[in-house]
Amino acid sequence: MKKTSLDKKFDKLRFLEENNKLVSKDQNRLISKFLNNKLAVLGLIIFSIIILATIFAPLLTSYDPIRTDLRSMRQSPSLDHWFGTDNTGRDVFSRVLYGGRVSIFVGLGSSLMAALIGLAIGCYGGYKGGWVDVIALRISEIFMSFPQIILVLLLVSITGQSLTNLFVIFILTGWGGMYRLSRARMLSLREEEYVQALESFGISTFTICYKHMLPNALGPIMVMITLSTAMFILTEAGLSFLGLGVPLNVPTWGNILNVATDIVVLQNYWWMWAPVGIVISVFVLAVNFIGDGLRDSTDPSQQG
Amino acid sequence: MIFVISFLVYFGLDLTPGDAVSHMISPELAATITPEKLEAMREAYGLNATFLERYWIWLTSCLKGDFGYSMAGGVAIKDIMVKTIPATLELSIVALIISTILGCSLGILSALKKGSATDSGLTVAGMAGVSIPEFFFALVAILIFGMHFQWLPVGGRLLPHYETLLDRIPNIIMPSMVLALALTAGAMRYSRSSMLDVLSREFIKTARSKGLPEWRINILHGFRVALTPVVVLIGFRLPLLIGGSTIIEQVFQWPGIGNMFIRSVRASDYPLVMMISLMYVFVVLTASLLIDLLTALIDPRVRLGKE
Amino acid sequence: MRHNKNIALSVKDLKTYFYTNNRCNKAVNGVSFDIEKGKTLCVVGESGCGKSVTASTIMQLLPTLSRIEEGEIIFHKDNEKINIEKLERNGKEMREIRGSDIAMIFQDPMTALNPVYTVGFQIAENLKYHTTLSKKEIREKTIRLLDDMGIPLPEQRVDEYPHSYSGGMRQRAMIAMAMACNPKILIADEPTTALDVTIQAQIFELMDNLKKNYNTAIMLITHDMGVVAELADNVAVMYMGNIVESGTADDVLRRPTHPYTKALLDSVPVLGRGRDQDIKPIKGSTPDPYDRPIGCQFAPRCNWRTESCDIMPEISNISETHEIRCHKYKEIFQY
Ligand SMILES: Nc1ncnc2c1ncn2[C@@H]1O[C@H](COP(=O)(O)OP(=O)(O)O)[C@@H](O)[C@H]1O
Ligand SMILES: [Mg+2]
Repeated sequence: MKKTSLDKKFDKLRFLEENNKLVSKDQNRLISKFLNNKLAVLGLIIFSIIILATIFAPLLTSYDPIRTDLRSMRQSPSLDHWFGTDNTGRDVFSRVLYGGRVSIFVGLGSSLMAALIGLAIGCYGGYKGGWVDVIALRISEIFMSFPQIILVLLLVSITGQSLTNLFVIFILTGWGGMYRLSRARMLSLREEEYVQALESFGISTFTICYKHMLPNALGPIMVMITLSTAMFILTEAGLSFLGLGVPLNVPTWGNILNVATDIVVLQNYWWMWAPVGIVISVFVLAVNFIGDGLRDSTDPSQQG
Repeated sequence: MIFVISFLVYFGLDLTPGDAVSHMISPELAATITPEKLEAMREAYGLNATFLERYWIWLTSCLKGDFGYSMAGGVAIKDIMVKTIPATLELSIVALIISTILGCSLGILSALKKGSATDSGLTVAGMAGVSIPEFFFALVAILIFGMHFQWLPVGGRLLPHYETLLDRIPNIIMPSMVLALALTAGAMRYSRSSMLDVLSREFIKTARSKGLPEWRINILHGFRVALTPVVVLIGFRLPLLIGGSTIIEQVFQWPGIGNMFIRSVRASDYPLVMMISLMYVFVVLTASLLIDLLTALIDPRVRLGKE
Repeated sequence: MRHNKNIALSVKDLKTYFYTNNRCNKAVNGVSFDIEKGKTLCVVGESGCGKSVTASTIMQLLPTLSRIEEGEIIFHKDNEKINIEKLERNGKEMREIRGSDIAMIFQDPMTALNPVYTVGFQIAENLKYHTTLSKKEIREKTIRLLDDMGIPLPEQRVDEYPHSYSGGMRQRAMIAMAMACNPKILIADEPTTALDVTIQAQIFELMDNLKKNYNTAIMLITHDMGVVAELADNVAVMYMGNIVESGTADDVLRRPTHPYTKALLDSVPVLGRGRDQDIKPIKGSTPDPYDRPIGCQFAPRCNWRTESCDIMPEISNISETHEIRCHKYKEIFQY
């Protein structure tokens, strides 16, 4: 029989096994599983690079992201201006870096806050039930009957455009999912024996709920945090692209892309919008890779 | 649920800053208008009654099919909806069909070839599909197909004098493809994991132990069972389709409801914003109902359970 | 080894390894046995010792990350000999054998039937691919099969979905499906573990009748010693991927010789022996499949262990039918 690549892999494994080269490692299984997922590691690396680049933006570029320079308008990429300059002569590279700060902050920050709120209510509600739970469930139902972007737009139209408003709006639209997820986890954990044992010891609700059960609900929540971070960053970009997100004077990834609504820019000055679009895509892709890796390593049903 | 939301929506918009009347008249007029006249206009738009009264008036007329008037130009909202919804439906349905067919077949292919290069390639491509902002993808598509090669129109739905179905096709290709992108990725992911889950079940082994050919095992026994959760999940992603279409419609100047919604948000045309949001909620709730029905149709367990 | 004409399937030094989690699990590591026509071979052993894997290997129903390493599976079809291990996994020849010549019943009837098709459809499928019957004949035969298996109202039941069947009825339907093409060999992997005790007895009775009526060879995997005593013609005891002792039911149950067989028999109460039986659980637990002992697999849990047990014992014959894999069998047998 001819050998397939799978057969070769088997031969190698068998050889190693027979020579006792394969000893199960005692490291944390979750971490090692995560690290074994090449895409997740790649995602983590890209994620870190982009975050570090935005944090240390002043070291990487000497241009001010909002200072206009009418003498150097619409320059194509060069050694001076890596991503060229925009309509008013601002350096696109520095705008991408500083814009990243805001966009990532809004995306990551609001999804973390949403998770915090969702977890706090969800854990308590899922474990204890009662009126808190009933009300929270109804409210989350209301929020979730809207398509996300419609709700965001609706709230934007009510509250007006500002960075803080957007941040709050994202939290408002994001907590419901987190709440429901953690609530569902808690409902199933509640039936487990160790929780009942803790209860019989007379340990306080608060301690059982937040100290003993919460850590067990974190896996899926972490996955959800990555997913909603990705989603919020995309939503911010979309809103700002439409001119309905963060006010245009603040550089964000979406605001930089806003210039592409002008068909002349779209056609002739690719550097004003293409690089930032790529950066957004790559960053979101990295976040999704991380989320996928987390999902695989926290999901006990997956093997191999 | 829809009543609760309608109430909240109305309440929220009522609290918005800014006088609705001031959006309706030109700045020059606003500078010269007399307070009496302004008051008369407020009265005409029902802006002076108490909150509950206004809500009640609004709700009853809605139920009668009268959704009120847009503030921009005083067009009946009903007319706006009648004009824009078909366009959105057309776009969404085409995108849904493309993405479901493409997504499911790629997902199944990926599941059947689990671990192969095809599988990893498709998985990464799927991730990229959900990671690229749709409008960015749209821009690139416009640049390449619309401007560089000039194969496809860059926007709009109908050109004057182009009325037959065939004439419409070039216009819908780009927006529907772009809209289908993220959905395809989602559908692919779901059908892959659902298919993998089903393929690891006992009854697949049973089917194999009967000596059935692989295609029959994969399609009749595997895919048929994997379909139910995929339908449910695609249904749950319907909001994404609806949401996604707003921005895409804007980019491609597609005269749909999403485009209208964004315009009304920009113009702070509150009655219109409110009614369109409510319509979206209505669509989402109806969709979830339909999905329940649909799953019942496919799954004999649910079907019989309800008898 | 006996070479008689009555052998339906013989397995020789079969090794099946799993390669999941980037490790190599020697799930079945050198197993030999024969299945005789019209006889029941019971395979017993603790869970995880490779019984199901052996069964799946015979049907070539192994998952992707596993393969047959060595050995032979010879299926005696009429006068032909077919080497199953040489056939392509889901190839045409293998598919022709499955379901028509060798059929299999699984442990959990709840999950073994496809929930979205009627029971009749799933039985008919088997007939469709292995016979030339017309649609109408297939339907008639399906109903007859259900009737034979003791399912009430078969004309009606045939069009019902598995979820409206009870566990016992589903297993009957599974057996109907397996027996549809009169297979030469029926492999039943713990067919009653998921069922109530009373129903278990009915299912076994059914299988025993099939064996008598159709001369079907049965390979019954179980860990119920009572069932073994009741049904088995031949018994094979498995431990960690090896058969440690095999022979006729008499050989193994009345003259158990391998320390593991003895321990296994001591660990279960025997019906009819009254209340004050001396039940001794087997000490220790099965080793990690990735960290198997060198030599005799049972050695770490064995009271008879000596240094020689660090080398895997060969198969020895106590009598013509009674085989054992133990260094010390002579002492134990006399003892
Ligand atoms: N699908 C599988 N994937 C990986 N390992 C398996 C699989 N099936 C069985 N094994 C391994 O093979 C060994 C024997 O299992 P099995 O034959 O199921 O035992 P049992 O005797 O209880 O039927 C075990 O170590 C088990 O972990
Ligand atoms: Mg088993």
